[in-house]
Amino acid sequence: MTRFIRKAAAIVLAIAFMAAPALALDRAAIVAQACGGPGSMTEAAAALTAGVATASKDDAAWAATLSGAAIERTLKCGSPPVIAAPAGARDAATLAPATSADGTSPLLSLKNRPLFETARAAATLFSGVTQGERGAALSALERRAGSLPPELFEKAADAETDVGLKERILGVGQAALLNSPDVSKRISAIERISVSADRRSLTQVAGLKTDPAYATDQAFKAAVDAGVASIERRLQISNALNTLYNGLSFASILFMASAGLAIIFGLMGVINLAQGEFIMIGAYVTYAVQEVLRAAAPDLLDWYLIVAIPIVFLATAGVGVFLEATLVRRLYTRPLMTLLATWAVSLLIVNLVRVGVGTQNLQFVTPSWMSGGHLLMGDFIVTWNRLFAIVFAAATLVLTWVVLKRTPLGLNIRAVTQNRAMAGCLGIATRRVDMMAFGLGSGLAGLAGLALCPIYNVNPQMGSNFIVDSFMVVVLGGVGTLAGTVIASLGVGQINVLIEPLYGAVAAKVIVLLMIIAFLQWRPDGLFAVKGRRK
Amino acid sequence: MTDKAHILSRAFEDRIFVGVAAAVALAAVVVALFPGLSGYRVNIAGQLACFALLALSLDLIWGYAGILSLGHGLFFAIGGYVIGMHLLEHAVATTGVTPDIVQFMGWKALPDWWGPLESFPVALVAALGVSFAVAFVFGWVSFRSRVGGVYFAIITQALVYVAMLLMFRNDTGFGGNNGMTGFQTIFGAPFQTPGVAKGLAATSLLVLFAALVACRLLMIGRFGRLLVATRDDETRLRSLGYETLRLKLGVWCLSAVLAAIAGLLYVPQVGIINPRVLSPELSLEIAVWCAIGGRGRLAGAVIGAVLVNAIKFSLSATMPELWPFVLAGLVILVALIFPNGLLDIGRWRPTWISRPDVLQPGDAKP
Amino acid sequence: MSKFDRRSFLMTTAGLAAGAALPLAAPPLIRSARAAGPVKLGCLFSSSGTMANLEGRMNFVAKMAADEINAAGGVNGSTIEVVTSDPASDWPLYAQIGRQMLAETKVAALFGCWTSVSRKSVLPVVEQNDGLLFYPLHFEGDENSKNVVYVNSPPASSVLPAVDYLMSPDGVEAKRFFMIGSDYVWPRTINKQLKGYWKSKGIEESAWKEEYVPFSFSNFQTIVNQIRAFADAPGGKCVVVLTVVGSSIPDFMREFANQGISSSDVPVLGLDMVEADLEGLDTAKMVGHLNCWAYLQQAKGDANVKFLKSWSDYVTKTGAPFKKDVAIDPMVSTYDAVHLWAMAAKKAGSFDVPEVRKAFDGLSFDCPSGYKIGMTAENNYVSRGVFIGSVNETQGFDVLWQSPDTPKPVPMSQY
Repeated sequence: MTRFIRKAAAIVLAIAFMAAPALALDRAAIVAQACGGPGSMTEAAAALTAGVATASKDDAAWAATLSGAAIERTLKCGSPPVIAAPAGARDAATLAPATSADGTSPLLSLKNRPLFETARAAATLFSGVTQGERGAALSALERRAGSLPPELFEKAADAETDVGLKERILGVGQAALLNSPDVSKRISAIERISVSADRRSLTQVAGLKTDPAYATDQAFKAAVDAGVASIERRLQISNALNTLYNGLSFASILFMASAGLAIIFGLMGVINLAQGEFIMIGAYVTYAVQEVLRAAAPDLLDWYLIVAIPIVFLATAGVGVFLEATLVRRLYTRPLMTLLATWAVSLLIVNLVRVGVGTQNLQFVTPSWMSGGHLLMGDFIVTWNRLFAIVFAAATLVLTWVVLKRTPLGLNIRAVTQNRAMAGCLGIATRRVDMMAFGLGSGLAGLAGLALCPIYNVNPQMGSNFIVDSFMVVVLGGVGTLAGTVIASLGVGQINVLIEPLYGAVAAKVIVLLMIIAFLQWRPDGLFAVKGRRK
Repeated sequence: MTDKAHILSRAFEDRIFVGVAAAVALAAVVVALFPGLSGYRVNIAGQLACFALLALSLDLIWGYAGILSLGHGLFFAIGGYVIGMHLLEHAVATTGVTPDIVQFMGWKALPDWWGPLESFPVALVAALGVSFAVAFVFGWVSFRSRVGGVYFAIITQALVYVAMLLMFRNDTGFGGNNGMTGFQTIFGAPFQTPGVAKGLAATSLLVLFAALVACRLLMIGRFGRLLVATRDDETRLRSLGYETLRLKLGVWCLSAVLAAIAGLLYVPQVGIINPRVLSPELSLEIAVWCAIGGRGRLAGAVIGAVLVNAIKFSLSATMPELWPFVLAGLVILVALIFPNGLLDIGRWRPTWISRPDVLQPGDAKP
Repeated sequence: MSKFDRRSFLMTTAGLAAGAALPLAAPPLIRSARAAGPVKLGCLFSSSGTMANLEGRMNFVAKMAADEINAAGGVNGSTIEVVTSDPASDWPLYAQIGRQMLAETKVAALFGCWTSVSRKSVLPVVEQNDGLLFYPLHFEGDENSKNVVYVNSPPASSVLPAVDYLMSPDGVEAKRFFMIGSDYVWPRTINKQLKGYWKSKGIEESAWKEEYVPFSFSNFQTIVNQIRAFADAPGGKCVVVLTVVGSSIPDFMREFANQGISSSDVPVLGLDMVEADLEGLDTAKMVGHLNCWAYLQQAKGDANVKFLKSWSDYVTKTGAPFKKDVAIDPMVSTYDAVHLWAMAAKKAGSFDVPEVRKAFDGLSFDCPSGYKIGMTAENNYVSRGVFIGSVNETQGFDVLWQSPDTPKPVPMSQY
């Protein structure tokens, strides 16, 4: 009954405002609906979206605020309903300052959330102050253009002052005309949609093949066929790029995890089973840096990953040097015993962290420059966190290469790797070189932990995930060659990603590992055997 | 090549061996005949015997041939899975109750090809045969291309890891993550019968005893001496005209079959087999037992396995947080101070940490 | 055997043999502190391995519940002592420790297991020793042992209502489903039942797709790509039914959000997702994804306020390494379980399993979820309420829907 009265009131009000040049939104009624159950909230969102095109700029701004408040749950349905804000509550209908900020916030159901998001974007398109705001709103609307009244875009384009944006709005408006009665408009809509070239557009355009016009209208049929063909072609490219990117990102992780191992194994023939734990320590040090920055210099918090680089490297390298001096050094002639001893060390580190810090995943701030991704073309999204890992791995590779090829330490390491006895005879302090190399390898592992922070969960167990994979990469690449490790990680990463969609993640891993095992049986020295004496 | 001071005196070793063998035999008698033992403790004794047998199998290949396998869990699991299939078939045959695995695997009944395994001799032959075949193929390929040392260790680790991933998949068809549980009867007797636990434990101890004696005889004989020679200088042995491939392959297959027997005895006593026995950590732990007890001495493997697992059992229910620290501490202690394992303590002349680079048997070639 | 005389041989042999035989005959290694006094309850929750972060906190909840009961005078004149352990996320070890607790520590009941795998491995042990296991997780059903108390809900009263919601006009009218789960019995069975359910609703087989990943799998890039491709294909709204467990949940959610998919594009129904999984994630981009449990932290009622306060106090008091302001369903279920056991033991006037089991009939308890949960003579299931939660910005769940009462649990699925 009350709802009926409310509806009636809305109609009366709407008639009353007919004469006005811009149709005013019935704010009170919409607020009441927004505070109703899920069903009436749907109506509120629909009323907002439908109304903004004809509403005054002031009303549109209000509509954007209200739908934003509904999404962010700052709408408090007391009497009167208010919108809570840090600066003070405002009346939900008039936006005048309000006294009380009580009341519960209605929860958006799954169905209503996109409706309110659309309403907010539509309202912002009209009322957004900056061109950027309006542009972002248009991007949000683009994907749902079909569900909006076409005149909304026309009106928005009329009101738009920026030429470029006006063009874009008209374009999106065209795409929204896919189901218009006018065939020529439909054809231009198809052409328009075909440019975006993602799978959703393919579904939209290919769906038109069942349309009656497809059978009767030649031009329409041609446009649909051309659209489908063009989207499919671009989809193929974007799929290929996607696979490549996924493979590259997996490879970069593999490389980071195994680079340090490759140096240590190549130089000393020593297997460091605690390598995974160095990765974990790296991640924990990164966390510590983040916490220190949060307390001491909150402005720098967004850049903690960069600030942490030298600290992480030095810290993990320090732990590595300590481990070498106390344990590994004493076991050089017994590599199999080193294997067990470093395993014990890994057990120790994991449990120390577990007892000291806890088992929960650490909470990392996702820097603003690293969250989300960029839609490059079609369905190909470049996610920033993975791009960071790729760039980071590339930078590490270059730096490691420089250290190995262009510094005295690198020269020594290479000399000892090739012929330990001869290097010793020439006066190289081989034990010192070992220690430095172990430190370098551990530091690299620590950096891997840093790069993994934005991608994986950081907890005491994280290291164990990498151990078998990274060993396989090192051995496959050929012990002691950085290039081998790079190529092995690229290959393993790419093959894994190629197989995964076909047979599933487990089978992909199994197949890749079996391939490596088989390959090593055939060529135990790996892809690139280092020239020099086998120890 | 070998520093004499670090080899235990022969007499001491003999004494230890005889002592351990006698202790195993005595334990078998006690378990079988002493009525006062709780079922739980009998079960523990049986499990320890299986672990000891597993350690023994690794000691053959690592201690005597110098080849470290970090994938011995694979053979243990083969034995375990085959006996698991046997027990499930047997349960269906004797009780008629469909086991859980049929339901959660989405089957109508157990697969037809499991059928023959209902007979124990077939299951036994299958377990030994499969483990032998897998070991033979893998060993032949590896030893022929001279994969050894650390490489062999990592490749076997990868192999067991691959097997674990495979078996964790439901689609592989062996119960996936769940593995096999709910065994009802063994040789027609329900598992609840008190005699069953005793019988299993006593059998395990007796098998361990027999294996100890047989391996001992084998290792003090020609085969054993050739093996040690292969370990210490394979090139020289080859140039003397010995076919080391055959030697290594022989001991590798023997070791695999022993490990499978251990799995065969273990699973009925714990009532579950799942891919966790294929985890690289378990296979590594086997090596740790050997290292702690002392390699290349058979008795050492048994002592190590029993000691480590006894501590583990007693700690995991009371002070679970302590266990990893104890284990890590033991390994580091052994690595640094007692390179021959805890049997060194008996000599009271440990290799102190200040003497880092002492060659150990089997370590000559990385 | 040259240098070795008979005496030393005999001595060593005797010594070693005695050494081996002694532990067998000696008193148990695990000795109870006071033999007659307290009644012992055993916990089977891992504090290491992949389940540690989730299971670990339950040890503390059980202790907290026991403290409450002890403060009120204990049960049948005894105080409760909670014995914890660490099965290290290793399923056979759950069975081993369970056996040890029942046979040696003589616990009156066991509380534990998160994954169905661990429950299935403990099941034969409790059945052979006629023990009692209180299992606090919602699970795949199709099991009805007299030795297990299923404190949480089978699918018919947890998963199906949530899926129904997604398919209803109030939800998103979902027509197509992408199922992604960890590769073990719970996800497989749940998905099997879901497929049967959809078939019964006349949904074509082409409308769903399922993928499985190993435990602690973390690289979800390719799978999220597949989901995007599936969601954009024609045929109606797509939802993701997520049954991965443990550390895979946050990994999946992070990748999902990073690839720019929001809940208004493709909603995720995370069947095992709890507040603790969202720790460390930027949930602003995940708002609106769903889960379904028999308890959510935002449940209304005094019982919940009291529970949250006790937990927070308990964490402060004991320094347990968990967040004091996060409570998840299995914690509440464990809490309920200890109380249910105590009530049954009190009613039976005994700690003997058969007596306690008989006393289950007609028990009811004011669960922190706000429902009065109860048990019947029919089976060992506990009837619980149903919540559908929706991820909010503050790493928690808002209550999107909750059942009017506690539906009667249906152990065996009809699908």
